[in-house]
Amino acid sequence: MVRYILQRILAMILTLLIILTVAFMVVRLMPGSVFDLDPELSDTAIKAMNAKYHFDQPMIKQYGYFMADVLFHNDWGTSIAMRPNVAVWDILKDRIPVTLKLNLISLFAALPFGLFFGIVAAINKNTLVDHLVSLMVVLFISIPSFIYAAGLQYFVGYKWKWLPLIYDPAAHGWAQFRSMILPMLALSFDPIARVARYLRAELIENINSDYMLLAKAKGLTFRQSIMRHALRNSMVPMMNIIIPMFAEVLSGSLVIESIFAVAGMGGLMVDSINSSDHMLTVAILMFYSLISLITILIVDISYGIVDPRVRMGVKG
Amino acid sequence: MTFYEDNKELYDSIPAEKFQLVQNNEDIHDAAFRTKPIGFFKDVWLRFIRNKASVIGGIIILIIMVFAAIGPSMNSYTYTEQHTDLANMPPKVPWIAKLNLGIMDGHYTLTKRQYDNIKDTSKYPEGCILKLKNPRIINGVKIVDVVVDYYKYKGLDDSQCYWLGSDYLGRDIWTRLWKGTRISLFIALFSVLCNVIIGVIYGSICGYYGGAVDMVLQRIMEIINAFPRIVVLTLFIMVAGTGMFSLIMAMVIKGWIPIARMIRSQFYRFKGHEYVLASRTMGTNDQKLIFRHILPNSIGPVITQAMMAVPTTIFSESFLAYIGLGLQAPNSSIGVMLSTGQKVLMQYPTQVLYPAIIISLLMICFNLFGDGLRDAFDPTQRGVS
Repeated sequence: MVRYILQRILAMILTLLIILTVAFMVVRLMPGSVFDLDPELSDTAIKAMNAKYHFDQPMIKQYGYFMADVLFHNDWGTSIAMRPNVAVWDILKDRIPVTLKLNLISLFAALPFGLFFGIVAAINKNTLVDHLVSLMVVLFISIPSFIYAAGLQYFVGYKWKWLPLIYDPAAHGWAQFRSMILPMLALSFDPIARVARYLRAELIENINSDYMLLAKAKGLTFRQSIMRHALRNSMVPMMNIIIPMFAEVLSGSLVIESIFAVAGMGGLMVDSINSSDHMLTVAILMFYSLISLITILIVDISYGIVDPRVRMGVKG
Repeated sequence: MTFYEDNKELYDSIPAEKFQLVQNNEDIHDAAFRTKPIGFFKDVWLRFIRNKASVIGGIIILIIMVFAAIGPSMNSYTYTEQHTDLANMPPKVPWIAKLNLGIMDGHYTLTKRQYDNIKDTSKYPEGCILKLKNPRIINGVKIVDVVVDYYKYKGLDDSQCYWLGSDYLGRDIWTRLWKGTRISLFIALFSVLCNVIIGVIYGSICGYYGGAVDMVLQRIMEIINAFPRIVVLTLFIMVAGTGMFSLIMAMVIKGWIPIARMIRSQFYRFKGHEYVLASRTMGTNDQKLIFRHILPNSIGPVITQAMMAVPTTIFSESFLAYIGLGLQAPNSSIGVMLSTGQKVLMQYPTQVLYPAIIISLLMICFNLFGDGLRDAFDPTQRGVS
């Protein structure tokens, strides 16, 4: 098992290094980037640039410096457009908690609703309730989150004035939470629908299984047999869809954050792309890569624990 | 030892005339098929049309495609034509305006206007004011919200109208919407086609040859698949620029992998079957075995998966437009229209509304259509999602 986990972690680190390499190539080799030295620059400016970015060195050495800076000094370069001359890491470190908070709360707030709808639909299979839940699932999964965001912002925020239009970074406590409700709502529709759909399918399969017949035969009520047997068995595979969902919610929040002006990574990434602040963009992309690789790693390891065939390398 | 040999005495004791042939005087029912044989695709079709939701989904997709084809030429505007003095016009369709429903009649609410100016025809041309709302006094000045017929307010005659309004440069939204739908659909369908071609070839090679070839190709696939989707899309577009071709390519980088995986597992399932073995024994070459004998088994799942990939690609295109990596002006796509509309959402919500309706319809209908196809191709999968 330890060997398996080490293997997965090694593979993840390798992937991250490849992504970093690609990122380096994107930043340095892209035509028209800041790193094409302007011939009109003064000598001192060029010297300063060379000292910082090593343009006078061959490309392979530049690559070495870049990797060393990132890996050993946590130095992601300097922002040039968004907040000139501020180190990228200094910009990011205030933003990461906001994004994580927004996304984690959305995901975990979505879970109970998803579970509830899934259970209700499974118990009332092929009734009106089930069909309504199915309709809801189709709508929530199909329609992109930014459409919901626009609708919520216009109606709830602007027309009816129930909640703040945009995120309020200056507020604290309840007031700040209130301004986060709309983005969280927009983000949570998709996880709600996915959890509901998955749990419904799992639960229906479990309800039709033999041990449920036994539970009924030995005199458990319907509620007891569902709560103690069917639901518990359905929850085991749920973990494997909830963790990867975090990466999905996170990518949805790129747009949602910029719509609601949330001071997080998503909004920052949109701004940095639009202002061609490539160093910043790359650092943010690395953050997203890291998160999504970690979620894959957790899922892989948990599969390995639950199902020994996976870590033995048996292919299905 | 047969049954007869076991019970020889019993049978021999029955006199021969007591035996009589079954079917002696009856029609033989199964001598020939009375009905026409139903082929694979007919069977799929019959199952598909029984699923009402997917049929409706398919019809709506067709309608949207027809409009995407003919919509831009239905009025005299072109999608790049700018009238900066007629920016952000509200939607107006003459025959809907006549119904007095309060929608699409070119009305617009001007907020916080001075009441004293209402009679001034240089500011408010004859007959443009429809209603006065919300009179109030601010700093001793009487203020009202004026609902106007924006077309008369701008001094246009009745003949000129923007069916779905105009955007911030005075471009006709109807034309741009359908032009954009056409481009979004083209990007989606073309990139899915590329994905299918690459995925089928790659998956076939993996699955058919197996062994070391499969091993190496699988590792390559795993590495590509480990890159997060957004990171790939963003980095690729940053390097390749924001053209239609680079958008399609960006969708292809990771898009072919699910299809290759599926094809590979199909090959593993079928290549050991007796009919393949028989064909190989008779000297059929690899190419024919792959394309004639094994691949056709996967046609159902391939079509289904391709249809399911279309909404994802449409979504990705809009997503890229939102984060500023969409098509560049003056090109139009659903994503570009949404993201430009988003900037003026509070003032002109209709600019988001129409592209939002189209993208939602497309996403829902393609999902329903794909579900229906999956059930039709493989009835055992019904209800699993």
